[in-house]
Amino acid sequence: MTLRLSGLRAGYGTTPVLHDVDLVVPPGRAVALLGANGAGKTTLLRTAMGLVKAWSGTVTLDGEAVTHRPVHDRVRRGMCLVPEGRGIFRQLTVRQNLAMQVDGRDVDRAIEVATEAFPLLGERLDQVAGTLSGGQQQMVAVARALVTEAKVVLADELSVGLAPIVVDEIFSAIDLLRSQGRSLLIVEQYVDRALAIADYVYILHKGRVAFVGEPGQCTSHEVFARYMGQVA
Amino acid sequence: MKAFLPFLIIGVTTGAIYALAAMGLVLTYTTSGVFNFAHGAVGMLVTYLFYSLRVDAGWPTPLALALALLVVAPLLGVIIDRLLLTRLAGATTATYVVVSLSLLVAIQGGVIALYGAETRKLAPLFPTSTFRLSGVNVGWDQAIVVGIAVAAGLALAHFFSGTHLGLKTKAVVGDPELTELVGSDSRAITTISWVLGTVFAALSGILMAPVVGLDAVLLTLLVVQAFGAAVVGRLRSLPLTNLGAYGIAVVAALSTKYVANYRSLIGLPTALPFIVLFAVLIFSPKSAFVEVTERTDVRRLVDRPGVRGRRGAQYSRLGAVIAGAALLPLVLSGSRLLTATTTAAYVLVFASLGLLVGLSRQLSLCHAVFVVFGATTLSHLLSAGVPYPLALLLAAVTMVPVGAALAIPAIRLSGLFLALATFGFGVLAQYLLFNMGLAFGRDAVGVIPRPDVLNGDDAFFYFVLGVVALSLFLIETVRSTRLGRVLAAVADSPSGVQSVGINPTASRVMVFCLSAFFAALAGGLLGSLVRVVTPTSFDFFQSLLWVTVLVVAGARGFAGSIVAAVLLITVPAVFTSASVSEWQPVVFGISAILLARSPNGIVGLIRLPDFSRLTRGLEWRGEDRRLAERRARLVGEAAG
Repeated sequence: MTLRLSGLRAGYGTTPVLHDVDLVVPPGRAVALLGANGAGKTTLLRTAMGLVKAWSGTVTLDGEAVTHRPVHDRVRRGMCLVPEGRGIFRQLTVRQNLAMQVDGRDVDRAIEVATEAFPLLGERLDQVAGTLSGGQQQMVAVARALVTEAKVVLADELSVGLAPIVVDEIFSAIDLLRSQGRSLLIVEQYVDRALAIADYVYILHKGRVAFVGEPGQCTSHEVFARYMGQVA
Repeated sequence: MKAFLPFLIIGVTTGAIYALAAMGLVLTYTTSGVFNFAHGAVGMLVTYLFYSLRVDAGWPTPLALALALLVVAPLLGVIIDRLLLTRLAGATTATYVVVSLSLLVAIQGGVIALYGAETRKLAPLFPTSTFRLSGVNVGWDQAIVVGIAVAAGLALAHFFSGTHLGLKTKAVVGDPELTELVGSDSRAITTISWVLGTVFAALSGILMAPVVGLDAVLLTLLVVQAFGAAVVGRLRSLPLTNLGAYGIAVVAALSTKYVANYRSLIGLPTALPFIVLFAVLIFSPKSAFVEVTERTDVRRLVDRPGVRGRRGAQYSRLGAVIAGAALLPLVLSGSRLLTATTTAAYVLVFASLGLLVGLSRQLSLCHAVFVVFGATTLSHLLSAGVPYPLALLLAAVTMVPVGAALAIPAIRLSGLFLALATFGFGVLAQYLLFNMGLAFGRDAVGVIPRPDVLNGDDAFFYFVLGVVALSLFLIETVRSTRLGRVLAAVADSPSGVQSVGINPTASRVMVFCLSAFFAALAGGLLGSLVRVVTPTSFDFFQSLLWVTVLVVAGARGFAGSIVAAVLLITVPAVFTSASVSEWQPVVFGISAILLARSPNGIVGLIRLPDFSRLTRGLEWRGEDRRLAERRARLVGEAAG
């Protein structure tokens, strides 16, 4: 499934954040979205998902415009966002979290898929998710994407605040998503790891696309320079 | 034992109805995050419509019942959710409390205006024939009511633990955005919650009406008694809520047998749910009451709670208003002057309430208690021979410890739970304390004679105006000094205030004391005006109405207090048509809902002229002139 953002403008209140952003996630490919703090990465994901209203421009899925569709409708059409922070229902158990994701249908299979990727969760199925450790909570959040049929997965800073060993687990889940042929749009602070799995790289600077290319075309040093807006 | 059984049966039946109402409350709260103060009013409204269909239109009972429960009640739920609550997205808990209170005020006012205040009889829904149980007669209707409540409880338990929709309703209240992200329509789920909640409210209203009669106030209040049960369940647990409902009702029923001999305790059974409500909130560990949704209002960030403009501007405006008011006796006399005097005293009522609601944003729903006790204490002091001005001051001072006592829940509880605790206190004060000798004496009336000097209408107007003016200046000073800043800051972030080394507790206690002092002062003035105060002068409903009116007018300064007093007192006195006073609560209720998110009500929508800016403008011009002169001199010197 292709996710395409064209001429996207969006912001909060009267403050613009995104200016005419064009971005394509081709079917089955992984796109890394990089940029400094405040560059508009999260806003871009949230606008693509419909959590932030687009001021102008379009969001299309396989050519079909979803710009004005509500969030839950985009989810039903095959999009999935793993949001910044811990995207879980804190007051529900792990099992209930997974049940929410598959809308109550075939919960057993969802649990199977989730525990295969994160065996640790198997022991915690009936624990209230808010009482899990940070890493375990993030596993539940990532498992959400695994158990759905979503064809485009948007992931926002999945590795923030996690121990390196947990980051490894999260990234192997991302690899798994990729190997299943899903399109990925990943915002990530570990630039090297993002470049290692990405087919394409976009760098945002102050709400504009400052660079588009393949990972081979840029080293993490260059990325850093573009973060700072030193390269036009 | 046998002597207790009939009371036990009454208790269980009443408990079943409380349980239904309380489960509806808990259901709505846990699935939408909104504690619906208007739950009872909604049930009452549907019950009246049921009555209209069944009695006025002559429909068969089952058909009327089906329409009321399956069409009217759900529709009402949709309207409340989609029309009222959607607009509030992102508002604070206090705003939600004000809106649901306003809804209560509006619905109750509207039904009374349409149907009249008298109690009507509603024929029983179920056969009233009886069967014998352990040697006591039990009505079939009683058994059916209990059966319905138990069945509804079991159905609800299954809904939450056994159905996916039940799971979704719990998920959406915790995180609506994430619910959307997993592909569920969060708005639709919330609407379903409201539909279920209103159906429960309607069911309890309809089952209750044949027992207590069709009465707008009684039906609203009877469901309000379910608050106690809901709080026992900590607004979350359905089994505990049921336990609370049956427990409260049974104890209340059994206690009626005992209190019959003690006049001062006559209100105890009625007050019991509120004693439970108040006691549970006060004595539970603080962690027991945490709201299901954390609400922080983004708009609050742009909306500064403190004083707009400089202190001087507020004082000069206030001075101008007082000076204008001082001219009123020249043009008014007789009953019109009395209205002006009442209005002036009410300005103080609202200003004292504004200290809590507007400045420190603590919703106190028992303000009438301070006003009443101010008046009764004045009455006691006067009959003890204390001179009038001293008695008035002492009466107000006497209320300070009461205010401090009420600050205890304020320290422990916030937002919704403070509102509930003060609500409970207000009702229990009315049922229990007002009946005791210390309030109104043996004759249930407090006489308040005025000294000879103040017997004339003009003289008393100036006295009231003087006291109110002085109080308003003091309140404005509180607002603009350190205490005011601390209170506004505490309202924003208690932990933030602590982090800069200020103890928020002291300021909360202080504001309750101040508010109680000024409210009691206003109560003394209002009592002196009519020279008597009775238990019905200011009932707990007034407290709710006052909050509503103050929110409409603007809670953040003296201007709002004046507008509130004019709207509540002057308007119905000027437009004497019956429909004005009948529809007044409805207008206030709806306006408060519309203005709930405006930072300062009607006043916030109007820009008053800033007199001090005018004088400051002159200063600037003066300075400019001096500068120009200096420049001219310099130019002259240079040229010379």
